[in-house]
Amino acid sequence: MEAFGLPDGALVNYIFPNNAHVTWSIMIVIYPYITGLVAGAFVLSSMYHVFGVKEFKPIANFALVAAFSFGLFAAMPLLVHLGQPQRAYQIYTTPHTTSAMSIFGYVYSSYLVLLMIEIWVIYRKVFIEKANEAAGNMAIFWKILCLGITTYNPESAAFDKKLAKFLAGIGIPWACLLHGYVGFVFGSVKAVAWWATALQPFIFLSSAIVSGIAMMFLMYSFIMWRRGQGYDYVLIKKFIITLWIAFILDYALEILEITFVSYEQGAHWAVIKPLLMGPLYNSYVLGQMGFLSLGPILVLGIVSLLDIRDKALLYLGNLGSLMLIFQVLVMRFNVVVGGQLISKSERGFVHYEFEFFAKEGLLTAGTIMVAPFVTYYVISRFIPIFEGKSMDTEPKRAQM
Amino acid sequence: MENSKIPDSRREFLVRLLEGTATATVLMVFGPGAMAHGPETGGSQHRDQAEHKYAYIIDVSKCIGCGNCVRACKRENSVPTDYFRTWVERYVVRDEGVYVDSPKGAIEGFEKLNKRFRENIKLSRTVPKMCNHCHNPPCVQVCPVGATFKSPEGFVLVDRDYCMACGYCVQACPYGARFINPVEHKSDKCTWCYHRVKKGLLPACVTVCPQKARLFGDLNDIDSEVSKLFEADQWMVLKPEMHTDPTCFYIGLPREVV
Amino acid sequence: MSLPGPKAHIVRLAAVLIGAIFVFLVIKEVATPSSWNYKDWYRSDALTLNASYEVSYGGNQSCVTCHEEVNQELAEFKHQALSCESCHGALADHVKEGEKIADAVVDDESTWQCLNCHDARVSKPENFPQFDLKKVEEHGEIEPDMVCTACHTPHDPTP
Repeated sequence: MEAFGLPDGALVNYIFPNNAHVTWSIMIVIYPYITGLVAGAFVLSSMYHVFGVKEFKPIANFALVAAFSFGLFAAMPLLVHLGQPQRAYQIYTTPHTTSAMSIFGYVYSSYLVLLMIEIWVIYRKVFIEKANEAAGNMAIFWKILCLGITTYNPESAAFDKKLAKFLAGIGIPWACLLHGYVGFVFGSVKAVAWWATALQPFIFLSSAIVSGIAMMFLMYSFIMWRRGQGYDYVLIKKFIITLWIAFILDYALEILEITFVSYEQGAHWAVIKPLLMGPLYNSYVLGQMGFLSLGPILVLGIVSLLDIRDKALLYLGNLGSLMLIFQVLVMRFNVVVGGQLISKSERGFVHYEFEFFAKEGLLTAGTIMVAPFVTYYVISRFIPIFEGKSMDTEPKRAQM
Repeated sequence: MENSKIPDSRREFLVRLLEGTATATVLMVFGPGAMAHGPETGGSQHRDQAEHKYAYIIDVSKCIGCGNCVRACKRENSVPTDYFRTWVERYVVRDEGVYVDSPKGAIEGFEKLNKRFRENIKLSRTVPKMCNHCHNPPCVQVCPVGATFKSPEGFVLVDRDYCMACGYCVQACPYGARFINPVEHKSDKCTWCYHRVKKGLLPACVTVCPQKARLFGDLNDIDSEVSKLFEADQWMVLKPEMHTDPTCFYIGLPREVV
Repeated sequence: MSLPGPKAHIVRLAAVLIGAIFVFLVIKEVATPSSWNYKDWYRSDALTLNASYEVSYGGNQSCVTCHEEVNQELAEFKHQALSCESCHGALADHVKEGEKIADAVVDDESTWQCLNCHDARVSKPENFPQFDLKKVEEHGEIEPDMVCTACHTPHDPTP
């Protein structure tokens, strides 16, 4: 226990009695992870809808629906974590605006509404077609979804497109707020040395975008594999380059943060150094900052800079993306749980053990993480996400 | 204007990026940021108009670490096992470093110190800890729904009928005074026995202390023990660098105490 | 069948949204506690709630009402300043609504009650009466398994 050194001249590991229990555990690790996936997927979608990056056209609507699927479950970990979840509505009735956390209710709900409206505007034509084709209860379902208008007026397309672009546009800062505020929730807590940094919102946001793009790439690869109709290698190349650059930015911020605190040698470093060299050595030094970062930088860099083609693009891209979705998950763990391992006694570290069957345990986390994928699958059975003439179905050689 | 050509010029891209960034920045700064100026919650005007201005004084040089206070608090407030509204820490300062322990919060006092720490002791003291009922409480600031607050007389309290146990207050407290009650599933902490003080009694811990090491009183009453000690100005607070402005004042606090 | 206007669906969407916002605002109004203090952001009724919890310790004055004679006994000695309940337990475990519900006697055979305060510890202030029982000269002759109450009465501990 004392092998990694103790801060403030402590001769034994001393933690405050109330610090023994880690209050924010796995649920609070996956919550920012899920909102991060939402933000990342949305930004990817907006790259086409707002910035016109045409290589991303084939996945623009897919990313939107994926963002929505993840967004539906973003609040689940929080509800599971709350001691009194039936009082969760209070975040709408009496939000305490001195608290960063208080904006969650409104920002999250309005963001979900924004997502729903954007999806609705984009897929309206499909809903109308289904409303006219279907029979019985399904017809009622589709009619409601069309808000009663079951005839498509082609002149509405122009306005719909503008609206979609507008929503995709304001959706970006909105997604930034939805996820950035989480970074603020942590970064503004002066009492937790490992959390308190002004860089926190940026670190969270940039890693969110990385996780979103990486997850979208993995999902795209899997769906295209299942469809058996080939891959769009121009898209894949663009995916990988975007992911590589996004991660370099994210890694740069994470490096900057640790460099600052270790250079300053201030009050925080006295407790952070033994934390990182001790309890968090494997997950932070070896995992997050080591293998799980350098690996993707290398693999994705090879793809981005060299003339890699066809299946190699696919496999390397997937390898890098897989490492990155874990890098970001481990980063969330290191921040959320890692911060609480430093006792406020400033003379000891708390012991943390993973729980599997507990209310806030790994099994619950796994279930919540699987749910968005199931939801996406269900939605894809109702509306065609990868059909349509915008999708290139022939494998293409990547052009340098 | 109706012809929505997909823009591919770099200039448009940068303009849009700037717009988005500006919006996000404005929202992040003037949204929650504007409200979070962290003033003394409760308002100083609100507090000055209060009839009482309570304070708690701990004389470390008198504490014998018997644990009466921890036991009384547990009984008075039904505090669950392994959690503490108040606890006592033993500090043993030697040349090599500082030994600190708090066996079960000192609910059964302290066992004899382990032999290997008993040589070359420069200083040893037992230090009671509890919620500091700060004037600028970070826990009140971060509560997302207003379930914890500072009363007009200066007590930082929890609204058990409103708390949803998100745990943010537990994270924000620099003193480790707060916890989520595992029985009630709500935030919990020392209340300076508000329910007793309101009836003219003293907090339970103060009542049972054999050494009068714990004192509680009204700073508005110039004849009170706490007023005199407060005016003597030989007190210190815990973690002053956190700028929480505590109202628990320690006399004879060793500098090694965190 | 005539075509709906190019923005007819937007009108409907707007209507649904406005309707939903209206319903939300109504529910919000109803669900917000009526005693809410908007200035300091808490439920004013919480003050009454916090003041309503049951008191367990009565303080020495609550013991004296029935046990005046003990108070006289203690009158001249150090232990007089002590809280009766710190050894005898909380008033609420002994009396309920003016009637005795249980005994409040301390176990005579226990030494813990005395040693808890008086067993010597490095952390106790030097001027506090503490004894290291192993050092016979500090305490006079005692045999193993002897209890403190063999020579000391708790209320008047001078031997």
